[in-house]
Amino acid sequence: MKPFSWAIALGGLLVATAAGAQTLTVGVRGGPESMDPHFSALGPQADAVKHIYDTLVGTGVDLQLEPSLATSWEPIDDVTWEFKLREGVKFHDGSDFTAEDVKFSIERIPNVTGPTTMEIYIRRIADVEIVDDYTLRITTDGPAATLPFDFVRLFIVSSAAAADFSDIESATEGFNSGEAAIGTGPFKYVSWEPKGELVLERFDDHWRGAAPWESVVRREISDDSSRLAALKAGDVDLINYVSSADYLALERDNDINTFLGDSVYVMNLQLDQRDETPKVYAKDGSPLGENPFQKKAVREALDLAIDRETMVDIVLEGLGTPARQLMPEGFFGSSDEIEAKPYDPDRAMELLAEAGYPDGFAMDLYCTNDRLPGDGAICEGLGQMFAQIGIDTNVNAISRSVYFPAQARKEYSAFMNGWGTLTGEASYTLGSLAHSPNEEVRMGAFNRIEYENPEVDRLMQAGSKELDADKRRAFYEEAMKLTVEDRAYLPIVVLQTVWAANADAVGDVATRADEETLAFYIQPAS
Amino acid sequence: MTGFLIQRLLQAIVIMAVMSVIVFAGVYAIGNPLEVLLPPEAPQDIRDAVIKRFGLDRPLWEQYGLYIYNLFQGDLGRSYIYNEPVLQLIFGRLPATIELVLTSVIGALVIGVPLGIWAGYRPNAFSSRAIMAVSILGFSVPTFWIGLILILTFAVNLGWLPSGGRGDTVEVLGVAWSVFTLDGWSHLILPATNLALFKLAIMIRLARAGTREVMLSDTVKFARAAGISEGTIIRRHVLKLISIPIATVFGLELGSTLAFAVVTETIFAWPGVGKLIIDSIQNLDRPVMMAYLILTAGLFVTINLVVDLVYALLDPRLRRRAAP
Repeated sequence: MKPFSWAIALGGLLVATAAGAQTLTVGVRGGPESMDPHFSALGPQADAVKHIYDTLVGTGVDLQLEPSLATSWEPIDDVTWEFKLREGVKFHDGSDFTAEDVKFSIERIPNVTGPTTMEIYIRRIADVEIVDDYTLRITTDGPAATLPFDFVRLFIVSSAAAADFSDIESATEGFNSGEAAIGTGPFKYVSWEPKGELVLERFDDHWRGAAPWESVVRREISDDSSRLAALKAGDVDLINYVSSADYLALERDNDINTFLGDSVYVMNLQLDQRDETPKVYAKDGSPLGENPFQKKAVREALDLAIDRETMVDIVLEGLGTPARQLMPEGFFGSSDEIEAKPYDPDRAMELLAEAGYPDGFAMDLYCTNDRLPGDGAICEGLGQMFAQIGIDTNVNAISRSVYFPAQARKEYSAFMNGWGTLTGEASYTLGSLAHSPNEEVRMGAFNRIEYENPEVDRLMQAGSKELDADKRRAFYEEAMKLTVEDRAYLPIVVLQTVWAANADAVGDVATRADEETLAFYIQPAS
Repeated sequence: MTGFLIQRLLQAIVIMAVMSVIVFAGVYAIGNPLEVLLPPEAPQDIRDAVIKRFGLDRPLWEQYGLYIYNLFQGDLGRSYIYNEPVLQLIFGRLPATIELVLTSVIGALVIGVPLGIWAGYRPNAFSSRAIMAVSILGFSVPTFWIGLILILTFAVNLGWLPSGGRGDTVEVLGVAWSVFTLDGWSHLILPATNLALFKLAIMIRLARAGTREVMLSDTVKFARAAGISEGTIIRRHVLKLISIPIATVFGLELGSTLAFAVVTETIFAWPGVGKLIIDSIQNLDRPVMMAYLILTAGLFVTINLVVDLVYALLDPRLRRRAAP
């Protein structure tokens, strides 16, 4: 122990003489999957590789678009976008960033991406044309109004460094060894292994300016209690995803600061709209002979039976807000005209009686219990609330690895999971959930309840082709209103996320809606 | 002896084959892993393309056949999550688990057996009663709770030891080990203690029960009558006679701890295979699950074989019976 701690102390002394020379150690719940930024579209992956690579288009803390490697973009006709690139940007190896790197990155994705495919971000692209070193024209397979939103996850790698590491066999090796892991981001890659520590070192020539930390260590600690213990023991300076119970205790701790932010995740209850649905029964267990969720009065009754305030205050210990629509308020395409959802169990029972179920019915409710904070508990809460209006609810809060495949096979009638509007705009959410499943227009892929409203379909298709932002916003707002009004999807709560940091190490944390913990935006304690 | 070995090897092959079918069918029954892995907003044509790329649109027997075919070529596939060859992924993390498990199981053996013998030799002494009381705790208190209490006490409140991770490692024979560094030991001691407690309790109870039985046997009576000292009786006779059940349990515990040290590894953020396998189950990372379970089956078969051989060494009667 002794020689080791002396070495650390001495090392600390040496680096402390350089200005702003500090190490930020972060305990994260989930780590990356690969150092190849094009391998996976998963959240923890993007969180990690964003330190090393920049995206073509950036997003602020509230997920609205901002310039990054592209400084501006505009449609020049129905199927062509022109992107102006930032000049003077350097890669970690000192080479210049040009349009060639963007084209290379786009064209590389289909060759190297894994099962959590990144192709979703380039699916509209038909052709990439380099006009000059800092101008790029992208042709799409039809009017693609949301193309810039797709590019918030388009990481740019160096075309020179990654040239030999761009097929599925060689990519992982080249990037994980660091040879090809050359980006323009605020930190340089030092080392990483699956589920181990990611070690990063500041890139002094980053175009935004140098980061406030000399080096960053991101340690994967998946267990919530262990992550908190590591923070309290001083092994890490900052942790993400503090659980709601721990949050209350930390509020009283003077050595630790907490940072609370709204997330993009909304918990949605989804009600099967097919003619026959598998998991709804009469109270004695016999078949009902019809799908009660096809009746609007039944859906409204369920909606009225949910006490969202209680859900937030009791179940989530205050870490959330009652949801009104399928994404957080203020996102592109969310509607200001949707009112808070009332809680009225008496009216709910009247509606059930009007719909022909004076004594209610029975159903199985399925939810994930290991995906998002509080998902299992919200599910239990829903079960009790539905029981109060006479619907016997058998709650099944299960692992996501069982839930999602079964949900895809459409084995459930009433089910709840979180949906994160990761791009910050409505086409991502409504296009997947509210549009009827339709392969031709490539929408409705996650609409597992076969919800269909022709007007919503029309609005979403019109929106996807409308290049004028204000007009498009109006289409999406209208579609959102109609979807919420139909009540096949019942939004329940918008989740919040908590970070916690040792007060003597970390001054401020940017609480991003996409829940990313980006060291560049974390300030040291002064 | 050779016949015995061949018989055991054949059994092992059958077990492995049956095991692979059960696991593959079981994993298949959970559902398409891509439903967990594909981004939710992926349109149907991209979904279909990815499912096809991973061969998941084929019937079960075809997928299984392909898997076995590749297996015999030494190719266990690449992880869906990490895109690394599965064996590289597992063996890269196995040393961490091995050193943790060996430290805890050997520790439990070295401490537990003498304590158990003492408790069996002097069943009514106060110290024996204290040992038995502690062993009941080791049995009945859940591992994850003890783990958290250890972290709270030694890492958070006292600040003596780190709360998790593996610490400094040195390369020996091309593999990174932390048992050879002081910092490594400071990281190892808490999780190893946590993992050892349950095994310690078992060892104590086995040794105690065995000793009490043997102490009453004619062997010991005659030895005492012959004037052999108590220390020699315990070393020469008692220890030998109680060692067979201990060897059995030691083998089984070693295997199960190697395969399933998950809880401890998760709490102490120990970068071993336990965490890898749990996460791969949650993500339906089929290649990793398959490879790991097959390796685990192989491990148990091997350990059982070794235990059988050790019996023969420990007990001359078995040795003579097995001889042709």
